[in-house]
Amino acid sequence: MSTTYTFSKEDLAEIEKIKAKYPDKKSPVMPVLWLAQDKFGHVNDDVQKLVAETLDLPPAHVFGVATFYTQYYKKEMGKFVIDVCTSFSCQACGAYDILHYIEDQLGIKAGETTADGKFSIQSVECLGACGYAPMLQITNGVYCNHLTKEKVDVILDKLKKDEMPAFERIPFPQHTTAKS
Amino acid sequence: MAEIFIDNVRYEFEGKPLVLQFMLDNGLDHPFFCYHPSLSIPANCRQCYVEAGTPVFNRETNSYELDESGERVIRFFPKLMTACSLEASDGMVIKTHRTSELVKRAHKDTLEFILVNHPLDCPICDQAGECPLQIQTYKYGPEGSRFEHKKVHKPKRIKLGPRVILDAERCINCTRCVRFTDEISKSHQLTIISRGDKNYPATAPGMEFDDAYSLNTVDICPVGALTSADFRFKARVWEMNQTPGVDVTNGKGCNIDVWTRDNLVLRITPRYNAKVNDHWMPDFGREDYRRMNENRISRPEVNLDGDKIKSSWNNAELTFTEAIEDVNPSEILVIGSAFSSLEDNYAISAYFNRLGVNDVYFTPHIEAGSGDGFLISDDHYPNTNGCRALGFNEVSAAELKSKITDKSVKAIISLEDDLIGRGVINAGDLKGKFFAYFGSNNNETSKAADLVVPITCSVETISSYINVDGILQRTVPAKETIYTDRKLNLEMSLGRLDRYGTKFDNWVSDSNKVDCIPTWEFLERISRNQNSSLGFNESGDVFEAISSNIESLLGIDYNKIDELQGVQLEISSNKTEV
Ligand code: SF4
Ligand code: FES
Ligand code: FES
Repeated sequence: MSTTYTFSKEDLAEIEKIKAKYPDKKSPVMPVLWLAQDKFGHVNDDVQKLVAETLDLPPAHVFGVATFYTQYYKKEMGKFVIDVCTSFSCQACGAYDILHYIEDQLGIKAGETTADGKFSIQSVECLGACGYAPMLQITNGVYCNHLTKEKVDVILDKLKKDEMPAFERIPFPQHTTAKS
Repeated sequence: MAEIFIDNVRYEFEGKPLVLQFMLDNGLDHPFFCYHPSLSIPANCRQCYVEAGTPVFNRETNSYELDESGERVIRFFPKLMTACSLEASDGMVIKTHRTSELVKRAHKDTLEFILVNHPLDCPICDQAGECPLQIQTYKYGPEGSRFEHKKVHKPKRIKLGPRVILDAERCINCTRCVRFTDEISKSHQLTIISRGDKNYPATAPGMEFDDAYSLNTVDICPVGALTSADFRFKARVWEMNQTPGVDVTNGKGCNIDVWTRDNLVLRITPRYNAKVNDHWMPDFGREDYRRMNENRISRPEVNLDGDKIKSSWNNAELTFTEAIEDVNPSEILVIGSAFSSLEDNYAISAYFNRLGVNDVYFTPHIEAGSGDGFLISDDHYPNTNGCRALGFNEVSAAELKSKITDKSVKAIISLEDDLIGRGVINAGDLKGKFFAYFGSNNNETSKAADLVVPITCSVETISSYINVDGILQRTVPAKETIYTDRKLNLEMSLGRLDRYGTKFDNWVSDSNKVDCIPTWEFLERISRNQNSSLGFNESGDVFEAISSNIESLLGIDYNKIDELQGVQLEISSNKTEV
């Protein structure tokens, strides 16, 4: 099964605007990949090729950029992509317990997608939220922090009902003058 | 002149050299991986660390600040610097591992990092023996590894393209291969994919690494990650002899190293020559080792009633002499070859000039548009300019054909050039004429000959060529014939096996030697049979005769060619367009 991917006139106009922002040919790769992922839901081999052709860049270069970031989906993903951080801080705070718990709940392993196409799980590197470890991110969007199994249950229930959990605002611990 | 102090030794420099290159040029050993003099400098391996500082200049007094003991005050960069990307500046002070414990430690620690996920498979790795990672680990690396975890595994034996195989686990992500395709061959076929310890080079999905220069990445890969599909597992580098040569597969004449073992050429790699090919060569030039080993003409052959039979040299000499004496000089057609060396061509023309045959003809093998403007020329033969320099008559294929088929021609002498194979003539054109062919390899033309004289090829005797740009270069014998001995010929290189093996060791083999001699030697023998002499006792004599008779080569000898790494000659621009 092969789908042909094309950019519409509007997309191309958008891409022209992106290109105008940069002095050289290589730079627009990231925003254009992003645009493509928004449109197609992923940037698989064919989409990468389309991007390379559109930007007149070597396909190898686009491939290199796309594979560098876990945020670009190199294959079709579920509707909700659960990125569980398993880098150092999260790992130290039990990220693997959380990851395995989610895997058990959804019946798939990291890197897989549920049969109904609703969920994918990825184990990813640091998402810059080490202060609220362990954490996960949903489809390159909402961060869910300070995870516990109970919290994961709530998140999954919401997602099953197609509800996106809200962004949590976590205030930084303020500097205090406390000395002791 | 600007000065720089490296490990307390003062050096002078001009321009803006890079510290690493400057050290290497001055014979100072220093570890590095990603740097390559012909590529851009990403400074990503971090192996070439040095401590670097500059003297403090006081603008008010307009002089360098001095400390109590009268020494210049040096302000060091707060962190170690990568010597590969650091430009030398006047008064700069560099400390390497020789004088700085910190640098020594840094080299060791960087190597420990690089080796964290590197497989320890040197015993089965093709690169062993010529591996910068192996060498530098011996010299600068840690004694052992503190890494006790499971190594990251990556794909092995990936066929990146028809000629290059990748072992991703061995890759240290120096990006040399990627930069090569971006900057030199410009095919942009490679990239580094993924991130962190999962990195490795790859082509885009569905694409092949079929760059016409792809094998150069195997040469510059500082580890065994990229290997040649053809050469892998054939030989250990220390078992082979390495002899300088010249690529004869096209007009560029890339400088090469010819690697032999047991007198078989096992691989060909490019040799640096700034004037000709820098560090590179096209992939098809490396395939030429097959021509040197396979399908060789060994022992003379004569045609007896339509059958080719091997003959003795004596008989071949007699056949040749008789055939030539049978006809008038005006009935002899002598055809030189842009494929053959100056020595071969000159010997033939010198012999026949004496007999009164003054004209030698040749037809070039140039295909307009088949080159790429880089290292692949339109000219398929290495010595077209050589034939021109010798004053041969350059004729088109059609003209040569009509000469050959001319009724007045009774005997044709042709030097290695597959005239039938490349469509200049067909076998029928030679009917009824005596046809002698001097060649190294069997081909359509040798098949049609009445007498085949097996001659040495470019790796069996000294052979000189003038390339498309008018640069005169020469080869050195790399492969013994049954009449030569590398232990006696001082120009030939000796590998470990030659030096330490004896004829009775089972790892030394005497086979693979071809029964052939240089063209000049055959013609000298003929002359002596006729009680005269061409005065040729070795290739050098032939070259001396060339350089004293041909004005454009006046005063040039083999030493000069070696010294100058090729002599640039004036060449006339009136090349025939074909
Ligand atoms: S394959 Fe070799 S040349 Fe290419 S990045 Fe890896 S180590 Fe460097
Ligand atoms: S380690 Fe998980 S967010 Fe940084
Ligand atoms: S050689 Fe200098 S950083 Fe690699």
